[in-house]
Amino acid sequence: MHTESTPVVHTSRLVKNFGRTAALAGLDLTVMPGEVHGFLGPNGAGKSTTLRILLGLIRPTSGTARVFGIDPWAEPVRAHRDVAYVPGDVTFWPNLSGGEVIDLLAGLRGGADETLRRQLIEEFDFDPRRKARTYSKGNRQKAALIAAFSRRAKLYLLDEPSSGLDPVMDAVFRRHVRRVTGEGATVLLSSHILAEVEQLCDRVTIIGSGAAVESGTLAELRHLTRTRFRITATVQPDVLAALQGFHNVRVDGDAIEFDADATHLGAVLDALASAGVTGITAAPPSLEELFLRHYSDQPDGQQTQAQQAPAEQTQAQQGQVL
Amino acid sequence: MRAVLRLALLQARRDRAVLAAWILGIAGLGYAAATAITTQFAADTERAALVAVAAASPAFLFLRGLPDGISFGAVTFFQGFSFTAVLAGLMGAFLVVRHTRADEDQGRFELVGSTGVTRSAPLQATLLLGTFANVVLALAVAGGFIGAGLPVEGSFLAGAAVGAVGLFFVGTAALVAQVMPSARTASGTAAALVGAAYLLRGAGDALGTAELSTLQVTAAWPSLLSPIGWGQRIRPFTEADPLPLLVLAGAAVILGGAAVALRRGRDLGASYVAANESGPERARRGLVSLPGLAWRLQRGSLASWCFTAAVMGAVAGGLGPVVRDALAGNPALMELMGRLVPGEEAMVDLFTTAMLGIVGVLAAAAGIQAVLRLRAEEAEGRAEMLLAVPASRLRWLAGTLAVAVITTTAVAAAAGAAAAAVLTVSQAGGSGAGTVFAAALAHVPAALVFPAVTVLVFALASRWSSAVGWGFLAVGLVLGQFGELLGLPVWMQDLSPFRHSSAMPAEAFDPAGAVLMAAIAIALAAAAGRLIRERDLAGY
Repeated sequence: MHTESTPVVHTSRLVKNFGRTAALAGLDLTVMPGEVHGFLGPNGAGKSTTLRILLGLIRPTSGTARVFGIDPWAEPVRAHRDVAYVPGDVTFWPNLSGGEVIDLLAGLRGGADETLRRQLIEEFDFDPRRKARTYSKGNRQKAALIAAFSRRAKLYLLDEPSSGLDPVMDAVFRRHVRRVTGEGATVLLSSHILAEVEQLCDRVTIIGSGAAVESGTLAELRHLTRTRFRITATVQPDVLAALQGFHNVRVDGDAIEFDADATHLGAVLDALASAGVTGITAAPPSLEELFLRHYSDQPDGQQTQAQQAPAEQTQAQQGQVL
Repeated sequence: MRAVLRLALLQARRDRAVLAAWILGIAGLGYAAATAITTQFAADTERAALVAVAAASPAFLFLRGLPDGISFGAVTFFQGFSFTAVLAGLMGAFLVVRHTRADEDQGRFELVGSTGVTRSAPLQATLLLGTFANVVLALAVAGGFIGAGLPVEGSFLAGAAVGAVGLFFVGTAALVAQVMPSARTASGTAAALVGAAYLLRGAGDALGTAELSTLQVTAAWPSLLSPIGWGQRIRPFTEADPLPLLVLAGAAVILGGAAVALRRGRDLGASYVAANESGPERARRGLVSLPGLAWRLQRGSLASWCFTAAVMGAVAGGLGPVVRDALAGNPALMELMGRLVPGEEAMVDLFTTAMLGIVGVLAAAAGIQAVLRLRAEEAEGRAEMLLAVPASRLRWLAGTLAVAVITTTAVAAAAGAAAAAVLTVSQAGGSGAGTVFAAALAHVPAALVFPAVTVLVFALASRWSSAVGWGFLAVGLVLGQFGELLGLPVWMQDLSPFRHSSAMPAEAFDPAGAVLMAAIAIALAAAAGRLIRERDLAGY
């Protein structure tokens, strides 16, 4: 039986092949009760495939997947009893109104909580009276989120849920993620926006090429979240490179670029104060960059250890958010 | 112009398999019809008998077209033109909507429009592709006829007649696509116009005047309202009158030009018939279940199917008195018919039976369409949301299947009720209203085999469900309705479920066939319910 200490979601050596392509190549994923678990990875890494296996929509080639300890392929109805799902690419029935879609999706799970439904529609500033075909991507996303959050679930599976939302709506979304976890629910949040994951998630699993590359708390993964700086300054690059917290210092035209890890950010800023800075931009490194860094460590493309030092140069564009 | 050409090539590439299938299918049907005539009706006397019966029977005229003498070519054209013209019209209509309103719905127009092309360039490209497709179709049909041994000149004209009807509906659909608010409504309207063209031609032909000495029939005025009627007037193997070709081509140019003008003047996504963009704030209780959703999604289509079926039923019933009067006013004909079918009662029945046979096909098509919603739900990613809730796939499948059974039954019932009502009012004689209604329902078991096959294919490999479902309907139609004409062996004809329907009211009800078909349909559906659990749900 399911207890507090058993994982809500657990996959072990999960493999899924579509013909000759391996979508998942031995994924281990554990989500404990009550946590918001970030599920990161670039496009095509296997995030959606994993969620589809957890929903019992597709059968794993090998390995095991359990939701509340239940095999979702064998017993989808039991496994879904307390699950709410928001797909990554939301499509609706063009002739149903938004309100009807919400009632339908929440109703199939047992019916919406009326107070929550009203509150969500208001907070998301959603017009439920329009036909679904007239909704933009963001509005469809809102409707799917309202349907998911308007009935309480024990597990929320969210596949890139905020990709079509504007920042204000994104804030509403985050608030509701915190609300449901406050009520004791578990959230598995697939994303490739590192900042969103940083704000919301207790633990993170990073997936690349169908297998977990990293897994741990945010603190454990802190070394991944380096800030990239680009400055124009009078100081010599060599001087900066010698200081603590400065990594990958390089010259690009008349600008200097470097990465700084979060633990030494104070020291880095102190050093910059006396560096004669005339211009500065700072951006979190993109996920792609993190992966490139991981893989360039080991040319044969094998998984790296979390402790290994990041490699040197990357091709990624500054400030890019995947 | 270069841009238009490039866009046309792009559209042609997207369509290559579909268009090739349409063109080869239509030309193949023409070839089969021609071969059947030249081999099965090789003797002049045989063809004369066939045409004489047809000329005397408004039912035949309504379904097939105008007899035009007894040469091989003329008989082939009479037997095959209406059907091939309907198919050509549908090919043209769907081709146009696919590349115009559907692209607009899906947002692909926006991408193309952002490049350096004019607003109407994609539409012009589609018109170009539609013209090209119909020219190829005309040549293919002509090739098929020549291959079957028909005169060369007549074959080319006959092919041109088919292509010209297709071209007319390219223009029509282009205009419809500008006016209607969505691809679904545009396709539906364009297809309904093709159907109306067939029915108008049928009405004109059925009311036409027969010249028994030459075994020709001249159509009455309603036929002039139909492009298929115009195509028929070419009479390629006798009079070879090219004027109707020019009329059709001219009309197509005007319609296409009007469509281009409308496209130039309208916003992307806008339409002249306003779409209803608002809906209820809350779902009714009935919607919130898988069967409830299936019903809600199907009910609009169900209404259109039933309307079409009721029109056909009413025509079947309404032409009864025409048959009676035709016989009463022409003793020579009466004598000829008397030798073939005993009594004028039976004559009315025979006509009703033939029309209700077509109703069986319509009911099967409606059932296939209802089942294919499952495929659309899966391919467009909505099934994923429905199956992420605590509901089994079996319930999802069963809900839609139940709606499909209702659809098939309702279509047959609508046709039967309309036919029975009109027959009663017109007091044409023949079987009673109850029998005619029952006769329509007698087609339901066989018709249900088609949605059952479709759902089984969906459960096994959903990608193939549409092609196999419609393909099976085409095969069933050819084997069942034309198998005898094509001289196919009986066992092969019996593969068509339609052959196991009782041909009421002309024949008595045969429970064995109905039970067998129902059993097969149930077994196929049960297998689908079992197999749907075994496969991966397709991603979008």
